[in-house]
Amino acid sequence: MSSAWLRVGVAAVVAIVVLVVGLAMFGSFDTTANPDTGLVAGSNSFMLVLAIALLVGFLAYALLEYLQTRRLDSITRQFDTRTIVLMPIAIAINIVLGQTVGTALKIPLYLDSIGTILVGALAGPIPGALTGLLANLIWTFVLAGTPFGSPYAWPYAIVAAEIGLLAGVFGYYGFFRSRPNTAIPQLAGGLAVAALILFGLVFYGVLPFYAKGFTFFGDTSGVDQFFVVIAYAIAIGLVLALAALAIQLFVKRDLGVAFIVVGGAICGVISALISAPISAFVFGGVTGSGADILVAAFQQAGSSLIEAVFQQGLLQDPIDKTIEFIVAFLLLQTLSRRFTARFPQGERAVGVISA
Amino acid sequence: MTTEASTPSLSPEDRAYLRSLAPATPSPYHRLNPLTKAIVATVSTLAAFVLGGYVAPAAILVLLVLPGAIAARVTARLVRVALLISLPISISVALVSVFTRAGTTVLFTIGPFDATLEGVDFAAQVIVRLFVLAMALGLFGLTTEPRAFVVDLERRGLSPKIAFAAAATLETIPLMIERALAIQAAQRARGLDTEGSLATRIRGVMPLVGPVILSSLTEVEERSLALEVRAFGKPGRRDLLWTLPDDARQRILRWALVAAFVALTIGRVAGLVPALP
Repeated sequence: MSSAWLRVGVAAVVAIVVLVVGLAMFGSFDTTANPDTGLVAGSNSFMLVLAIALLVGFLAYALLEYLQTRRLDSITRQFDTRTIVLMPIAIAINIVLGQTVGTALKIPLYLDSIGTILVGALAGPIPGALTGLLANLIWTFVLAGTPFGSPYAWPYAIVAAEIGLLAGVFGYYGFFRSRPNTAIPQLAGGLAVAALILFGLVFYGVLPFYAKGFTFFGDTSGVDQFFVVIAYAIAIGLVLALAALAIQLFVKRDLGVAFIVVGGAICGVISALISAPISAFVFGGVTGSGADILVAAFQQAGSSLIEAVFQQGLLQDPIDKTIEFIVAFLLLQTLSRRFTARFPQGERAVGVISA
Repeated sequence: MTTEASTPSLSPEDRAYLRSLAPATPSPYHRLNPLTKAIVATVSTLAAFVLGGYVAPAAILVLLVLPGAIAARVTARLVRVALLISLPISISVALVSVFTRAGTTVLFTIGPFDATLEGVDFAAQVIVRLFVLAMALGLFGLTTEPRAFVVDLERRGLSPKIAFAAAATLETIPLMIERALAIQAAQRARGLDTEGSLATRIRGVMPLVGPVILSSLTEVEERSLALEVRAFGKPGRRDLLWTLPDDARQRILRWALVAAFVALTIGRVAGLVPALP
C-alpha cells in the first residue's frame, strides 16, 4: 500500500514540477485580467501546460509502478476481458460515426466520442481515457492504409482521453442513471440546480471569450448583418434545446436527463478549452467539419484566430458533447441490466433510481 | 521475411498459417521494421509543425518522405492519396484564413470578404504542413501491414490486451459496416424508404444507427467468453510466434531521428535555430 502512495506522491510532485517549469517557459505569465476580454491573459497557455502536466504526472505514476513491479497492475486491474473486448467495438463506433457525421456529411457536430463515453461509463475513468487515446491513435496509425484512416485525428488524442476520463468520473457518481417518476418538487429543484450550474458554466467558462468583438445581444451595429443573423439562429437553437430538455424532464419526469445535460455541458466546455489551442496551432483553426464557417464568421467579426477558435469551440463542443452524452445515456438505458452490470463500473453507473 | 520463433513443435499446417500472416514485402522499404517507419512518419510530421514556414516542411518532404516513397515505388499513389485526404481540410483552411485574417495588403474582395496577403500566406503555410503530414502518415500506411505494426509493438512490451484492442478494431469496422448493410436490407424489406431526397435518406439513417450499435455491443458477451476460455486474462508474458526482423542500423536510425527532433525542438524554443521562411 505504501508503494501505491509513493506512486501517487511522485506523480503529483512531477505534475506540479512540470506545471511550474511549463509556466516559467511561457515566461510572462500575466495574471492580470485583460480589460477587453475579461480573461486572465495567460489562460490559454495555462490550460495547455496544465494538460501536459497532468499527462506527464500520469506517465510518471505508470513508469514508477512499472519500475517497482515490472507491470502496471493498479491500472490494468480495471481492464477485465469484457472491457478489453468492448474497447475495439467502442473505437469502431467512434470512427464510423465520426467519419460519416463529421467528415462526410459536414454536419457541425463531431459525434466521434459515443463509444468512448460508453466505455468510460461502464468500465471507469482510466479505461475511458485509454479508449479515447487509443481511438485517435488507431484512427491515424493503425488504420492509416485503409479508407477509414485519418492522419488528422492524432493531435486530438488528448481531448478524446479527457472525454473518456470525465465520462468515467460522471459514471462513477451515477450521472448515467435513469431517475424516472421523480416527484415534481424534487424535479423542479433538480432543474433549478441544473440551470444554475449551466448558467455558471456559461457565465464563467464561455462568456469571457465573447466579451470582446462579438456578443449575441450586445452592440451589433459595427458587425456585418450576416453574422447577426447567424448569431440569432444559434441563440434560438440553444433556447429550443433548453425548452426541449425542460419538456422531456416534465413529460418523462426523469431527472437523469438533467444530470446528463450538465455532465455533457461540463465535458464540452473543458474539451473546447483543451482542443482550441490544438486546432489553432496544428490546423490553422479548422477541424474539417461544418463548424469551420463559424471560425471564419468570428474572425470576420474582429476576433483573432485563437479567440475565434475558442468562440467556435465553446459553441460547438458543449452542444456536441451534450448530444453525445444523451445518445450514450439512451443506449445505456436500452442495454440489458444483466449486460451492463458485468462491467467493472456498470452497476454503479447505470441502473435505475426510482423516487 | 518474417522469422518464426523457436517453435519446433509446430505442425506444417501451423507453419503455413503463420507464413500466410506475413505481409507482402515488395520492396526494401516495405521490409523495414514497422517501428522505424512509424518513427520516420511521426518525426517528419512533428518537425514540420515545430519548424514551420515553407522551407523546412519542403525539406522534410524531400529528405525523409519522398526517398522512402520512391524506394517503395508508391510515389504516384501516395501523392494521389495525400491530395485526396488533405483537400477537404485545405479548403476549410483557405476559406477560414484567406478571407478573414486581418492584414494590410488586400489582394481582392468578394462580397463582404477581403482576401489579404497575410491570410493567403498563413493558409498556405498551414496547408503545406498538413500536406507533409498526410504524405508522411500515408507512406507509413501504404507500406505497413497494420497487424505487423501491432505485433511488433507487442514484442517490444506493449500490453497484449491493448494490442488485441488495436488489432481487433481493424476487424470490427468492416464487420460493423456489413452489419449495417444487413440491417438496412432488413429495414427496407419491412418497407423503410432509404432512397430518394436528402431528407428521406437522413430519415433512413436513423433506424439504422441504434440497432447497429446495440447489436455490436451485445456481441461483447460472446466474444469475451470465447477469449476467456482461451486464457486471454492469464497474467504473465506471451510467446509470440511471429517476430519481425530488426537490425542495429535501424535502431541507430530511430534513435538518431528522435535525438535530432528533440535537438531541433529545444533549439527552436531557445531561439538557436532561426525561423526559416
